[in-house]
Amino acid sequence: MYDRPTLKQGQNVKCSRCGSTIIERKVDSIERSFFWSLAGIILLFPAISLPIMGVTLMGQHHQASLLDCVLVLIDRGFFMIASLVFLFAIAVPIVRLFGAFYITYSFKFNKLKPSLLSFFRAYHHLGHWTMLNVFMLGIVVSMYKLLDDTELSVNMGLLAFIFWFISSTIASSTLDQDYIWQTLEDEFVD
Amino acid sequence: MNLLIKTAKQENLALCPKCQRVNILQSQPQCCIRCKGLFYQRKPNSLQYTLAWNIAALLAFIPANLYPVMIIYSLGIDEPSTILSGIGQFIDHDLYPIAAIIFTASIIVPLLKIVGLFLLVYRVYTGVRLRPDKHSKFYHVLEFLGPWSMLDVFVVALLVAVVELGFVTSVSAGPAINYFALTVIFTMFAANSFDPRLLWDKTVDHLVLDQ
Repeated sequence: MYDRPTLKQGQNVKCSRCGSTIIERKVDSIERSFFWSLAGIILLFPAISLPIMGVTLMGQHHQASLLDCVLVLIDRGFFMIASLVFLFAIAVPIVRLFGAFYITYSFKFNKLKPSLLSFFRAYHHLGHWTMLNVFMLGIVVSMYKLLDDTELSVNMGLLAFIFWFISSTIASSTLDQDYIWQTLEDEFVD
Repeated sequence: MNLLIKTAKQENLALCPKCQRVNILQSQPQCCIRCKGLFYQRKPNSLQYTLAWNIAALLAFIPANLYPVMIIYSLGIDEPSTILSGIGQFIDHDLYPIAAIIFTASIIVPLLKIVGLFLLVYRVYTGVRLRPDKHSKFYHVLEFLGPWSMLDVFVVALLVAVVELGFVTSVSAGPAINYFALTVIFTMFAANSFDPRLLWDKTVDHLVLDQ
């Protein structure tokens, strides 16, 4: 067991036995996470509603956005994959993004509430179920699949989706969990 | 290895799995003094839950590979394709990296997870050749790989939505994709319900017995 040291920004503690990082104090965590999540929230609307890609074959053209994807799947009766896509690629990432935004907002403007403790616990819980990175890879794979026998066109939605994916990933990875827990504990737990 | 290492279990301490706060255990389940979440020192019946989800995942994996994942209609002719035949198509078109990615995500990862978790449960249960340091790393790799198997589900979802040119071509999802999604979700539940701290308990018990 180790005694807990006080850390400055950019320092981290490593286990002397196995060398893995125990605590890491990230630089400018709140600021960075706040602005990345703000960017993510702005990008969310184009990323979901603009068409990601389209196909042209024999003079016919069709394109679909992330939201269309879910609607078409529901329309054609594939409820299970529709709900999975909705949950893992739309709902959970959005909730995580707004969660990170709310937490960093309350830290930045000093509006700490006791309810943040359970809120942050719930935020932590959802971490397993964001699959934007997998969906990103899915887009790449399906583009390759379509390239052989159709004319593929890429739309603005793909760009927006990529930027949304990047900003929401950075927003959650820059968030310094240990710092947040420690501050909340000092504030509310006696 | 230091034989007289003191473990948190002997000291009646435990980390909250959500906020990583060290708690002195007063009750089971313990209410974390920091985040107020409930947790156990060791997840109760962890091995049974893992085993049950794992068997469910294995069962769902069989129809997932036998039935077609998607059906491509072009000019009125329907052409069903299973997960394996989809990979075969990529190999025919010489797209080896993509074929490798799909093969890893949809065949290797689910199988590795199922087999790996069976192995971990067996090792923890019997304590035979249990190497906690290696096995806990292995567990974390399995846990990390889990969500990547959803790749195939997302690919099919995108293809169904994008390729919709009426009579010329359209894609529809096959029954296997539901089973496949279930496999992935079940393996994720299985990995979640396994408690990696159990890996360390057996060795400590053995060491105590050996002394």
